[in-house]
Amino acid sequence: MPEYDKRGKPEKPLPKQVISRPAAGLQTIIVSPVDNNDSDIYVSIGREIHRLFGFHIEIRSLLQDVNFAFDPNRNQYYSTAILEKLAGTLPSQAVKVIAITNVDLFIPILTHVYGEAQLAGKACIVSTFRLKEGLSPVNIPEKFEKRLVKEALHELGHTFNLRHCRDKSCIMHYCRSIWDVDRKSDQLCRYCKILLEDELKNLER
Amino acid sequence: MLYTKILIVDDEPIMRESLAGWLERDGHYIDTSASGEDALKKLKETRYDILLVDIKMEGISGLDVLKRVKESDPDVAVVMITAYGSIATAIEAMKNGAYDYLLKPFDPDELGIIIEKILKDQAQLRENIYLKTQFKDRTRFESMIGQSRPMQEIFDLIMDVSPRNSTVLITGETGTGKELAAKAIHSNSARCEGPFVVVNCGAIPEHLMESELFGHQKGAFTDAKETKKGRLEISHGGTLFLDEIGEISMRMQIDLLRVLEDRVFYRVGGTQPLKSDFRVIAATNRNLEDAVKEGIFREDLYYRLNVISFEIPPLRERKEDIPLLAEHFLRRFTQETNKPIDRISRDAMDELMLYEWPGNVRELENAIERAVVVSKSRYIQPEDLPIFRPDCRISPLDNSLQEIEKAHIIRILEENAWNISKSAKILGIDRSTLYNKIKHYRLSKPA
Repeated sequence: MPEYDKRGKPEKPLPKQVISRPAAGLQTIIVSPVDNNDSDIYVSIGREIHRLFGFHIEIRSLLQDVNFAFDPNRNQYYSTAILEKLAGTLPSQAVKVIAITNVDLFIPILTHVYGEAQLAGKACIVSTFRLKEGLSPVNIPEKFEKRLVKEALHELGHTFNLRHCRDKSCIMHYCRSIWDVDRKSDQLCRYCKILLEDELKNLER
Repeated sequence: MLYTKILIVDDEPIMRESLAGWLERDGHYIDTSASGEDALKKLKETRYDILLVDIKMEGISGLDVLKRVKESDPDVAVVMITAYGSIATAIEAMKNGAYDYLLKPFDPDELGIIIEKILKDQAQLRENIYLKTQFKDRTRFESMIGQSRPMQEIFDLIMDVSPRNSTVLITGETGTGKELAAKAIHSNSARCEGPFVVVNCGAIPEHLMESELFGHQKGAFTDAKETKKGRLEISHGGTLFLDEIGEISMRMQIDLLRVLEDRVFYRVGGTQPLKSDFRVIAATNRNLEDAVKEGIFREDLYYRLNVISFEIPPLRERKEDIPLLAEHFLRRFTQETNKPIDRISRDAMDELMLYEWPGNVRELENAIERAVVVSKSRYIQPEDLPIFRPDCRISPLDNSLQEIEKAHIIRILEENAWNISKSAKILGIDRSTLYNKIKHYRLSKPA
């Protein structure tokens, strides 16, 4: 298994599918691709999750598809239903799972969501569907990856009981537009960092 | 404020739950009701800041809920949720005082913007109310009065803790005089020459709190035209009184803890560490231990604050102080208004003694002020008092003798229109014994 230095950079090259380190016992966060085959992007997401939350990362698809959540009237996928199924398939050594999907997600009261998380729960999901908005062909890969990583960290933050933060640069800030996502950093502010530490201590108890 | 209480009223479970889940991520406290009837029941028990109400529901409609809420508490913001076909009803709701309406399914941003705007307006309202009561309190309510045993114990405690430098946590219901107790501690301490600086954690909007407490450097944010000292700096050499500490946000809890630990802080936008020497007295009407258990108040901050703590008893538990307090307020308001009122009539005093005073000393003060204004005779009469009687639960009785005594007392009181003197005479006991019996059986004069 590759070791990481303090800044979260791997000291040795990463294997393609599994990035992990013995930082928090045997507990793992699973990055679960649903319908996307771009494995490089999952490695990036896994690396960033590891940097922020410090758990082992495993890239492993827990759901083959999300067709069961499709709503023909809205032509969208019901994210809460996906989360329930996802949490039910979580292996015992895993603490959290984040699913990444290409489909457009919704919850019944809202027109759409970029992602959804079980607050202080096990599962969260991020959709790439609306993340390419406003990107020119030149900067698509780089900017898109940054957006996806930020949204993934944000949703995962909710599963660690973090709420929305008013600090515009904090990863837990709720962005009204995709441009705000571009503007915010990929870091937690000092408040959210402390609240995350509290939550991690609670998980250890 | 610690968190915003939102009630979602919708008869469609899926709508209710998806909205609740979404709003929870913003850190709000969310409650749900499946009907207008259930919502009205919940509103009797809890005060919500925002209501999100579906217009079309079986039974009591969303519009009816809105009307009832606006009658009882006009400051609650009600946002109507409507389907495409019922926009006309939504507009009618706006005419009836709804804050806004949302067409479902709505854009998440739309919802966020409305809630943000409501919170901003409500914070402004709270601040205005606070400033008004601060002014009122400063001008009139500056002395602590009480001859009851619980108050004598509080006075002894104040004298004991004043000379020390320890942090004090004062608890007690609204209107019991927590700030007066804090001022008394300050006045009797070695810091009495220093400032007594009040921070009302519940009244200052969260976005202003950081700058209020820590101050800011010129240019730290758009409105920071000049460098400003924060209340921590101003309280140097004196006492910092953190009122309504139970309402402070998680972020400020983190900052406060750090300051209380090392007394070092930075102005917003500043890089220079500042030191200030102040004693902290905090007050709350919340049960902080419960708040810690619920995870909304930091345990480490609670222990940092709870070095010495005491509770000021509610007025209903020290009714013997009522005549003294009432006479004190009567003297003050007759002087202020120049009205020739000599005293409070015996019947009016009976009314004061029978009332439960949920708003405590502050409510009594307001009641006497009103009575002085409306009174047309030399004595305050019962009808001059604005007090009303809340429903009172009767505790289960242990045995039949007590049951007979209670029933007899109720009968005599009712036959004599709750005239205490007459009833006591008929019962063959003195007035104070009758008061004790009324208190023991938790009897209350019907409205």
